[in-house]
Amino acid sequence: MQAEQRIVDELCKKFDFFKDRIFVQRQKRIFTLPLATEEFEQVIHFIHDEMGFYKASHVVGTDDGDDLGFIYILSNREGIIFALKEKAPKSDPRINTVTDVFPSLDFHERELVNLFGADVKGLKGDSSYPLPDGWPKGNYPLRKDWNPKYFDNNTMTYNPPTNESNKEGQTNESE
Amino acid sequence: MNPNKDSNRIVIPIGPQHPSLKEPGCFTITLEGEKVVHADIGIGYNHRGLEKACESRNYIQTLYLIERVCGICSHTHSTAFCQGLEELAELSIPRRAAYIRVIVSELERLHSHLLWLGVAGHEIGFDTLFMYSWRDREKVLDVLAEVCGNRVNYGINTIGGVRRDIDDTMLQNILKVVDFLQDQLKYYLDLAMTDTMLSARLAGIGRLSKEDARKYGAVGPVARAAGIMEDIRIIEPYAAYTEVPVKPITDTHADVFGRTVVRILEMLESLEIIRFSIKNLPGGDIAVKAPRRIPAGEVISRTEAPRGENIHFIRSNGSDILERVRVRAPTEANWHGMKHMLEGEYLSDVPITIAAIDPCYSCADRAVVVNSGSKTEVMDWQSLRQYSIDWHKKRGVDVSSIKMPERKKYL
Repeated sequence: MQAEQRIVDELCKKFDFFKDRIFVQRQKRIFTLPLATEEFEQVIHFIHDEMGFYKASHVVGTDDGDDLGFIYILSNREGIIFALKEKAPKSDPRINTVTDVFPSLDFHERELVNLFGADVKGLKGDSSYPLPDGWPKGNYPLRKDWNPKYFDNNTMTYNPPTNESNKEGQTNESE
Repeated sequence: MNPNKDSNRIVIPIGPQHPSLKEPGCFTITLEGEKVVHADIGIGYNHRGLEKACESRNYIQTLYLIERVCGICSHTHSTAFCQGLEELAELSIPRRAAYIRVIVSELERLHSHLLWLGVAGHEIGFDTLFMYSWRDREKVLDVLAEVCGNRVNYGINTIGGVRRDIDDTMLQNILKVVDFLQDQLKYYLDLAMTDTMLSARLAGIGRLSKEDARKYGAVGPVARAAGIMEDIRIIEPYAAYTEVPVKPITDTHADVFGRTVVRILEMLESLEIIRFSIKNLPGGDIAVKAPRRIPAGEVISRTEAPRGENIHFIRSNGSDILERVRVRAPTEANWHGMKHMLEGEYLSDVPITIAAIDPCYSCADRAVVVNSGSKTEVMDWQSLRQYSIDWHKKRGVDVSSIKMPERKKYL
């Protein structure tokens, strides 16, 4: 795991905030702990431009309670996978697009918008993906508090019991 | 066709339902004469919410859902999922199970590539090739049914190994199919290399250079046909690929012709892998006991699906239900280069260019969405049929009295 450790050491040397927040999970796997947006911006450009992580496979969105998590799965020519994490509060889930560096992440970032309610700044195009047109506004199906049993396929409305309908962001206003 | 008044350009929407597409996708093609100057790709018509469904089922139930991500390469998804969980639970599967996973995996690659070869032949009007390759594919499906009990969605994987053993009779039958396919595949390779009509129809079409393949993150035969040697079986061996030799297959044509050659050569290599695996198949158990609750953690598991790199991200929370799973199927990686491949091509080459990445939109829709004015409805099959009858009635045609003919039985 020398190659993986070299990458970790170089990043720790370059960015102070990586101390104790990046680790080799196993051979060909490097994981980080979630970074704030400004830290993330610095790292993603550096590892793409300077460290040969040219390929972005996808972004995994996660619901982490008060935050939304975003895990960018990147890899280099040796097949080492780098799971770079970013987080943003649900109250203000703003992140910046990385499609300028990784154009292949277009669909994946649109998925973060549709399914998690992330606000991806700079992402081009406004068409809905992968949810159908007319999906009720404020309904983000991959958030943990969204329950499919309250969704009516025929009317395309989300009808939770009263105590749940008051929750933030759960409305039936059509987009 | 919608003529654009500002120029000589014509915009043609292909799909979501179109004879040249085997599954729903929407390709909005802008033409200048016969040439494609712009292409927009619309996908998502088959999104079934599988990942959300997995978050409310236990691991064994989830395994069956995950296997149904794709009807063609179901084994690769269940393998990636199982080995991810086995890594989290620190399970080491028996060697015999690892070899059985490889044998089924290569049989799956064979039937997937043969299916593609037939579709490609059909798209270019070479229906004899379509019928030949699908006839050969039946042999593979028959042997898969014998080994797994199913032609597709084999259900052979389980957490900790495999569910069924392969006996000597089955092994002999697999070898018979392998010998049969050896001759057939050599013939297809010879055809691809020597038939001038075939090469004229495929060469130079849907080009994606090595640089662009890297830029857009292409995987599988699309990347390997552009000279990029990326095969998870080689760069990160899993199951019994740690012991079974896999020869790297690449080509430098970087077009549909190259993708055809790569897939045929890969099938020939699959035959060698199956022969080696059967010859060296170890004895012993086929599974170890797996815990119902998987320890908390995160894992990224990947396999080489017939269409390329397949990645599963799994987050467990220590219970018997997972916290999050994200499946990145290979087609998802190959869409990005598609726009680039289409632009500059002729309209008549669009179907084969799309087919050449072997797109899998996932295999079953749960609903049909109909837009009527500003209203959108999600319809099941019966509602859709009634909608169709009413639509025709309004236009003076009553088709409700038409009876569906009895289905003939050919057994």
